[in-house]
Amino acid sequence: MTTIEELVEANAISRIEIEMHPRDQVLRLLYGTPDFIAWLDELAKGSQPGRRLGEATPAEQVDDLFNTFLSGMPLVHMRQFRTIRAEKNAVWELKTPDVRIFGWFLKKDCFVGVFGNWTDQVKDHDLYRGYRIAIRRLRRELGVDDTLCVQGVTPGDVLSL
Amino acid sequence: MCFHFDIGSRARHAGRFIGRVRGELLRALSERKAETGLSQQALARKLGADRAQINRQLSGEASLSLRSLADLAWAMDMEISFELKKPVASAGQNQPMTTSTVRHGQIKYINGSTRKISVVATPANSELGQAKKSA
Repeated sequence: MTTIEELVEANAISRIEIEMHPRDQVLRLLYGTPDFIAWLDELAKGSQPGRRLGEATPAEQVDDLFNTFLSGMPLVHMRQFRTIRAEKNAVWELKTPDVRIFGWFLKKDCFVGVFGNWTDQVKDHDLYRGYRIAIRRLRRELGVDDTLCVQGVTPGDVLSL
Repeated sequence: MCFHFDIGSRARHAGRFIGRVRGELLRALSERKAETGLSQQALARKLGADRAQINRQLSGEASLSLRSLADLAWAMDMEISFELKKPVASAGQNQPMTTSTVRHGQIKYINGSTRKISVVATPANSELGQAKKSA
């Protein structure tokens, strides 16, 4: 049976951390594939969409979302996270005004990001289906569909609320 | 192997403050909806504004001025509590890092010279709201 530690050792995924307030503790876990982390790295360096919607920069939006997630604060269903399609072993989307992050929950409160993109790109080119298929394929290749993937599709299945 | 997503102290404070204000507005609206059935549509009607614009402001897709923030709080019959205070170390909290362990350069932690902003919407007629008003 594949474990999260084995995926990390094989460099299939890496742990993502942020600077947290001293009074906060990490209550959830966040991982990313190498490609997603490369995308995050570009975002941290100031990458911007052609047309920005949010008052905060995309990097600030993602930092705030990760901070909310990691410190165990509630996320607003549909506004900040949702399934792409209600199905067993669903693919999930984390959302900010300008950014969309696609991945899945390895366990409850433990998300792995696979793709990140600008909101307008995802919507204009209808990339949901492509991301969903690519993530399902990746999970099959890693052999984690039955072991490291939350089956349920309700918010309470993936997050301690 | 670990990746540290570091956008710098200034950006971090700005982004998390903006997120906290919007989160508080959404929480207050959800609370009012449960108590009185107040919908985004009713909120927009009360303010003489477009529902889509209210939705964009709440979702973070449109800028929120202090005037808009005050108007939204008024329409929800909530009071805004706002203060700036020095960060205070409390028992049991983590020690902030003073040396960098990441590849994005030294962590910019400014101890004691930052001002913390707190925005909390409370019902205007609640006991908590009254206590804050009289304090």
